[in-house]
Formats: sequence, C-alpha cells, structure tokens
Amino acid sequence: MGEIRALRQSDVATVAALFQRILRKTSAPATPALEAYLTRLFLEGPEQDSEIHSHVHIRDDGSVSGFLGVLPLPLMMGERPVRGALCGTFMVDNHADDPFAGARLMRAFLSGPQDISLTETANDISTTMWRRLRATVLPEHSLEWLRVIRPAGFITEMAANVVGAARLLAPLARPADALIRRGAPEPRWSSLAAAIAEGTLASHDLDDESAAHLFTRFVSHFAVRPSWREENLRRMVEESRHKATFGAMVRRMVTTRDGKPVGMFLYYGDPGRIGRVLQILAAPGRAGEVIDAMLAHANERGMVALRGRAQPALLEAMLGRRFAFVHASSSIVHARDPALIEPFLAGKAFFNGFAGESWSRLIGDRF
Amino acid sequence: MSDAIKNEIRAFIVENFLFGDDTAPLADDQSLIASDLVDSTGILEMVTFLEERFGIVMADAEIVPANLDSIARIDAFVIRKRETAETTAG
Repeated sequence: MGEIRALRQSDVATVAALFQRILRKTSAPATPALEAYLTRLFLEGPEQDSEIHSHVHIRDDGSVSGFLGVLPLPLMMGERPVRGALCGTFMVDNHADDPFAGARLMRAFLSGPQDISLTETANDISTTMWRRLRATVLPEHSLEWLRVIRPAGFITEMAANVVGAARLLAPLARPADALIRRGAPEPRWSSLAAAIAEGTLASHDLDDESAAHLFTRFVSHFAVRPSWREENLRRMVEESRHKATFGAMVRRMVTTRDGKPVGMFLYYGDPGRIGRVLQILAAPGRAGEVIDAMLAHANERGMVALRGRAQPALLEAMLGRRFAFVHASSSIVHARDPALIEPFLAGKAFFNGFAGESWSRLIGDRF
Repeated sequence: MSDAIKNEIRAFIVENFLFGDDTAPLADDQSLIASDLVDSTGILEMVTFLEERFGIVMADAEIVPANLDSIARIDAFVIRKRETAETTAG
C-alpha cells in the first residue's frame, strides 16, 4: 500500500535521481552537488518549520517513489501572521502505474498545519489535482509575459531553442533589427526603439544586502506579504545569483533623479539572448517607471526580449507598454478559510518570484 | 442501503470518468485503475466526492487501492466508515 512520510536525509539520493530523470528528463546521474542542494533547500531551507516539511511516498519495498518538496512561507495578512507553505518540486515515479502515490502526496501536503498552501508554476496535471481538492487558480498570477526588444534576434533565439545551430544566424539578425527599430512609431509590440526615451529613470547595480533591504521595503504595501526573517531573505537573495543556464544575473535599483529608490528589477540573461525576469518590485504608483527602466537596461545590454511571470500589481503598466501574455503554468492557492484567498484573487497579495520557488537554484542552475 | 450507495458511486464514475457514457457495463469488481478509468486526479476527485456526499473523512492512509479501486471496494469502505462514525458518536 505504501506510505507517506516526511523527507529524511537518507531519501535525498533517490529524490535527486528522480529529479534528474523525471523533471530534468536526462539520463545523466545526479551529482553530489544536486544532492547537497536538495538537502540545503528542503531539509535545511530558509524559514524551516518543524511541522511543515517535504513529503516522500514510500513503496511497499521501502523505496522512494514520489516526492513533494515543501518550502515554509511565513506571511503577514495585514498585521496577522499566517502560516504559508509552498509546494515546489512534485514528482512521482511511474505515475501512470501508481496513481495513488501522487494523490496521496498532494492530500498529505494540503492536509498540513499551514493556513494557506501555494504553488507557483503547476503543470496541467498538478493544476487538475489542486482543483480537485478545491484549490483556486489565480488567473493574473498564472500568466507569463513577453516583451520583444529586437524582433529578428528574438526569432533567431526562438529557433535556436529548437535547433542550436540557428544561433549562427544571429549576426544577420543584428542589422535587420537596426533597420526595423529605426523610425517606426512608439509604442509597438514587435520591437523597442533603439533610443532610450527621455525621462526614463536611472538604475544602479544592487548588492545582496541592499537588495534584501529593498525587498522588504517594496512588499510592505501588499495586504498579504512574506514575513521573511532577515537572515533567510539574505540567503535567498544570495542563492538567487546562481542560475547558470539562464545566464548572468542583472539586479538593479531604480531611482528618481534625486536618488530616491522607487523600485528594483532582477533578470538573468547574456546579451543577444532572451532575459528571464525573476522579480520586479515598485513603490505604489511607480510600476510603469520601473518597467521602463528595466526595458531600457535590457535594451542597452543587447537583450532580444525579456520574459517573466505576471504580478497583478504590474499588469496595468505592462498592458500600456505592449507586453504579450500567455498561460504556461498555474499559480494556485488553497486555504480552509476563504477569507485568506480573497486578497490573492483581488491582486493584493505578493506572490511569485521570491514569494515562490523561482528564486531557488533548482530552477535555472547547473549541478 | 448499500445498493443506494453503490448506485451513487456508479453514477459519479459514469458522469465524471466515462463522460456520461453508460453503454458499456461497469462491473462492481472491475478495477478502476487497471481499466484506466481513474488516474491520480480522478482519485482526488473521488475522495472529495466521497467526503462531501457521504460525510466521511478519509485519512491519507485510507487512500489506497484496497478502498478505492472498484465500486464494490468503495461501497464497502463507505459503509465501514459510516459504521465506525456511528459507533464513535453513539
């Protein structure tokens, strides 16, 4: 019949092997570095809670056949502390042969002591499972956005994702983009003007400590927000530097002309590539200016496009700036008390990115 | 009593997993998993249905094929759970 129990150190090697095979879809063996990071994240992770833990499914023969990684996420709802738990990595070996394993893992997680359960990027199967357990999909958090900067370069990059040799065409894309971007009226969805618009706010590189400070500051106006402990947030900020497959990290603070911080952005990507934005934070009413500063930086850096996960607080500013949106995976919330879900549906909760799983090295780093 | 429960379970399965198609007979002891009628999402849907319709609470350890893999097993499980609940309440 199997059993569900808390993750133990002795399970990690098997979990790492499952991670390689099921989620990374590779036959390469799991490395000690991956095992070490899984241990660090799920057994020694930030905001550890003795009652909120990751789960494994154990077969009758004692072997691990499934894993549901859980990250505790302490939240504040107004002035009220709320226990949150984030479902990250979720995988089951031979899922079709043992459908009970996934069902039991999911039930075990949602039956936990947390007030609110969350997942940031559920695939279609997981989304259906969450729905069956009366969870709520958050449409505005479940969108991926894309802003094309250099259309020819963007098409080349998209082709290179399928056939790597397509990247050899990149030198041809550059003059094409120069031509396309010259003269066409703004704003347009297919490209960004080469010249930076007058009045665009400046941005400056941000060190780990300042980034952690600004995170706390810019999430403070959300009705539901993480209540990270300082040392844990610093750890997350430091770990988020390492996403080798995404490219170099760009993390910058946006300031007014008199030097006052009004927001920050964090993306990954090398020049000529599609940048992946992990987080955009802005003071109330300043989202548009922060987005403009981010696009200006990406433009000057030579990115062909930026993409990222939507946040309701940013949607209005993005719509006016010709961003494209598509649904790729779902952000979902589950709570026994419906009042806890309302701020998420109303777009008043800070969720995704650092209040999610995307900051971790499991997404985008090499092991 | 049992027939009534069994009929409700059957109707739920036909409606949700066979999309209303009841032309093929569904035997009481037919395995829902081996017949590919129910996957992990279907199991959760079934559990939620049983809890809401029959007022039972399923523990994690009870979500196993022995309790849920056929109409007969589900029926027997629901009856057992209700009897246990009545004994505890009485």
